[in-house]
Amino acid sequence: MRLLTSPLRRMVLGLQNLCEGEGGSPPKCCVLNPHRLLRRQNFSAEVTATELVSYWRGVFEANGIPEAQESSEYIVSYILGAKTFHSLGAGSLSTPLTLVQRQQIQQLSMKRLQRMPVQYVLGEWDFRELTLKMRPPVFIPRPETEDLVSLVLEEELQRSGSPAVTADHQCPTVVPHPVILEIGCGSGAIALSLLSKLPKSRVIAVDKEESAVNLTRENAQRLQLQDRIRILHYNVFSGFWEQLLPWGPVDTIVSNPPYVFHGDMSHLAEEILSYEDLGALDGGNDGMRVIKKILALAPCILKDHGSVFLEVDPRHPKMVENWLQNHPDLSLSVSATHKDFFGK
Amino acid sequence: SEDPAPRRPLSSWPGLETLFAAPALRRFLEEQAGVRGGPELRARIQRLWAKEQELRDTQELARADENEDLQKLAEEEIVSCQEEITELKRQIVLHLIPSEEIDNSDLVMEVTAGVGGQEAMLFTAEIFDMYQQYAAYKNWRFEILEYFPSEIGGLRHAAASIAGLEAYKHMKFEGGVHRVQRVPKTEKQGRIHTSTMTIALLPQPMEINLIINPKDLQIETKRASGAGGQHVNTTDSAVRIVHIPTGVVSECQQERSQIRNKEKAMQMLRAKLYSIKLEEETRKRYNARKIQIGTKGRSEKIRTYNFPQDRVTDHRINRTVHHIESFMLGEELLDEMITSLREYADYETLMEIISENVKTNLT
Repeated sequence: MRLLTSPLRRMVLGLQNLCEGEGGSPPKCCVLNPHRLLRRQNFSAEVTATELVSYWRGVFEANGIPEAQESSEYIVSYILGAKTFHSLGAGSLSTPLTLVQRQQIQQLSMKRLQRMPVQYVLGEWDFRELTLKMRPPVFIPRPETEDLVSLVLEEELQRSGSPAVTADHQCPTVVPHPVILEIGCGSGAIALSLLSKLPKSRVIAVDKEESAVNLTRENAQRLQLQDRIRILHYNVFSGFWEQLLPWGPVDTIVSNPPYVFHGDMSHLAEEILSYEDLGALDGGNDGMRVIKKILALAPCILKDHGSVFLEVDPRHPKMVENWLQNHPDLSLSVSATHKDFFGK
Repeated sequence: SEDPAPRRPLSSWPGLETLFAAPALRRFLEEQAGVRGGPELRARIQRLWAKEQELRDTQELARADENEDLQKLAEEEIVSCQEEITELKRQIVLHLIPSEEIDNSDLVMEVTAGVGGQEAMLFTAEIFDMYQQYAAYKNWRFEILEYFPSEIGGLRHAAASIAGLEAYKHMKFEGGVHRVQRVPKTEKQGRIHTSTMTIALLPQPMEINLIINPKDLQIETKRASGAGGQHVNTTDSAVRIVHIPTGVVSECQQERSQIRNKEKAMQMLRAKLYSIKLEEETRKRYNARKIQIGTKGRSEKIRTYNFPQDRVTDHRINRTVHHIESFMLGEELLDEMITSLREYADYETLMEIISENVKTNLT
């Protein structure tokens, strides 16, 4: 009960503060207008999407919610059936919203006022071409990871000798059919993107959290990719690696492991700290706890000339290189580092 | 304001008959039928001449013979001969007009509201919808890249990628200034206003037709500064790309996925750079023509949508069709207009080829 009322109180306070600041001047601040709007709303007067976006932006700003404009746009667009405010047609911007739509927007906005990430508020988000269900506390995929998938795709296409990159239309395209292992699949973003782009591939996706395993399964079914994916509830620290080989040694291991240095955890935003599974972020004192475990496992699981793709912190590539030099028995070497990430 | 007078009235647009009767074309065909034409073209010209001879003979026979049954038979044969001749002429025209590789391109369509304030923006939104429907009618893919609406349901500017069979071949005639004449919804006194919007059509280059050095690109996102990855969870996925050597900019915020926005912005940037590259070429080639295509025709007033008179007039070929509402559904009526424009453009191309030929023969 307290959780629900406190953001409301904050909201009202925020409004008063801003109104006083304006003094007797004409109401040009964005929060004054929405204040009237809120009352008009109750009398079911006409409110358009544009007006509602600026209303909730004002409320979010007054309450110190980050990305006030974006949050407001995403929520309003979602209720109107669009993904972004910019993809709303000209017509739907000027059409008055129904009472039900306004109530739905209010419900979602109340969640945002509690610092819930927009992706959880909407219950879905896009990763590359896919729309995925998002549910707390399963880690929300970040845009950087979309690039990690591009790197894996590039390598798989090259490995199979596909001429896709050289754009030679004369050669028959060889479709790669690799087996890929993803460690820490979360919502299934990486695994499902790879499956949808590599029609002959198979993926083993594992996560130590039941909630992540369930969400990946749900997303796989929604996208009708469940036939080529094996989803396992598996912990790299306690499981037997043999469990990871239902289809024999794999061609590629890909992972976005927890890599935040433990000391940095307290600086993360409230959205992350209050809602996301911190186990998906906290990489221990050097951010390498899970990274090292994956690298140690790799020789048992990979085929010869197999690859490991990891998303890591900018400080990590050098550290990983040093660590591998001290563990020559693993016969792994860093082959490339791409901006924030690297593949081996 | 009045419609601009066409530089050449429609009545001077000859049909196939007139075209083939012209001595210049006759001479040209005779040359092509010799060693100069390809085997397929030669065969068709020979067949045309044979058919024309057959037609004359049959007509002669029909005149001479008084037997009714035979006359009826001859008439049937005359009709079938004439049909085949028309078809052959059409095929020969197609052979003579060089097919342009660019016609098979996908394209980016940009629409921008012109003079007329909110009314121009409302009209821009309607025209944008019309082409979205036309793409569906032609089974093309239509993907919005940019969309900047106005408050009252209008559209300031938008861009869309259109992909499909011969998309550019059809759409290239739609570039230019489109004008609307009607009483705006906002007008209290019932006066007719004239407003405009502009369309630009940029062919999408193939990978090999335009190579961009990644070092020349500056890609801006909200996440570029400060910590990224797992450290932050932000939702602003807008992407802006600057091509440093030319200063050309494109941005996209249509998608929730940042990489998709990047792909779309890149697609638009490529089309813009390619059109700059083509512009010089195009200017040289089409300068003398009435039908300006692509970006070159941006400033030309090509069409008027007159609501009080319920008509759409294309000023380049002086063609008018009625039923604006049906026209703006983006189906048969628009398609027919585009076909007329294409035929006229073909005719102009043919005339150019023939006059080039005359010049070479004279020198």
